[in-house]
Amino acid sequence: MSERYDVAIIGAGPAGLTAGIYAARARLRTIVLDESVPGGQVKTTHKVSNYPGFPEDVHGSELSAAFARQAERFGARIRRSVEITAHDLSAFVKTLELDESETVEARAVIVATGAKPRPLGVPGEDTFKGRGISYCATCDGAYFEGKDIHVIGGGNSAVEEALFLTQFARSVTIVHQFEQFQAEPASVGEALTNPKIRVLFGHEPRAFHGETALEALEVEALRTRERKRLQTDGVFVFVGMVPRTDLLARYVELAPGGYVETTDAMETRIPGVYAAGDIRVKRFRQITTAVADGTIAALAAQKYLR
Amino acid sequence: MSAAVEEISANQYDERVLGAETPVVLDFFSTECPPCEALAPKYEAVAEQFAGKVRFLKIFRQGNRELATRLGVSGSPTLLFFKSGREVGARMTGEDIKRSALKSAVEALLP
Repeated sequence: MSERYDVAIIGAGPAGLTAGIYAARARLRTIVLDESVPGGQVKTTHKVSNYPGFPEDVHGSELSAAFARQAERFGARIRRSVEITAHDLSAFVKTLELDESETVEARAVIVATGAKPRPLGVPGEDTFKGRGISYCATCDGAYFEGKDIHVIGGGNSAVEEALFLTQFARSVTIVHQFEQFQAEPASVGEALTNPKIRVLFGHEPRAFHGETALEALEVEALRTRERKRLQTDGVFVFVGMVPRTDLLARYVELAPGGYVETTDAMETRIPGVYAAGDIRVKRFRQITTAVADGTIAALAAQKYLR
Repeated sequence: MSAAVEEISANQYDERVLGAETPVVLDFFSTECPPCEALAPKYEAVAEQFAGKVRFLKIFRQGNRELATRLGVSGSPTLLFFKSGREVGARMTGEDIKRSALKSAVEALLP
């Protein structure tokens, strides 16, 4: 069984759903595919404060649901929890096989697969993932009610999620490699004055230890090279993202870091294939820049299809 | 809810998980957990595929904290695999549980 669309959008984050809104409003037969539920990284972001149109903070999960509803209202079909098990993007009509059981055909494909949390890459991380190590505060924060936990990182995600985690944990210690945070001053100020938050600047994680569950985090002081083991009930890791470009890697040469080069119309080197959002080579990766990419990709695809 | 996946609580763990005759997959889930929502349809689809051969159970973390702590489960969703009353294989956790990977993990439970 094969279903025919004008545009297939892979990834239902802000870039993909915005592309979906524009494509569907242009009366293109549009399908948006995602391995998860819609929202991309935004769906597990506790609150979003810098997305225009929301003078009060908006929960990431609500913003995600709103993006999805808006795309569906104009007729975009969103398929949740589907895996692309085979694909051919180089032909004139592109094909995507879903869950080894159905095939979607489309003349244009917008790849908006985004990025996933970067693992630290230190010993013990794989062993204790889900046994004390987490990459999602909204999902796992409640497991740490009354506990003493650590957050690794110093950017916006690390600082904002550390603040969120204070509503569960007894103490949150932020471990950051540099001597100051890279996050926005507004959240940094809030974190530094929060009585539950402690900060360990100039330290890097080196290993995780424990019997069956995580018990200690080993860190190194970068200046003195001194290592110590910190007792911990849990560690949340927010040290940046890596692009999800497995799908595109077969068709284009990826730039350093695994990102995809596009023109300013979001075109890749393959005719009819566009890339939008965090997977692109670009300087700033924000929800606002992702929705801009999605807009442009959909408009460019619309022109291509005419 | 699909009939292929049954919800249990901690007091049924010994009987339904450890005492089961067939292999068992146990899903610790939470509310306000988008990755759990994302896993649910994949879990049900795979459960239907293995109906009668492997038992697919789920357990609500917030209502069964003690068991989660005892098993060292600290994230949702977390999938645990059991055979003849013992946990086997690697746990699967977080947002990136693919249907194909789950299927292979379940196949590995069968003789």
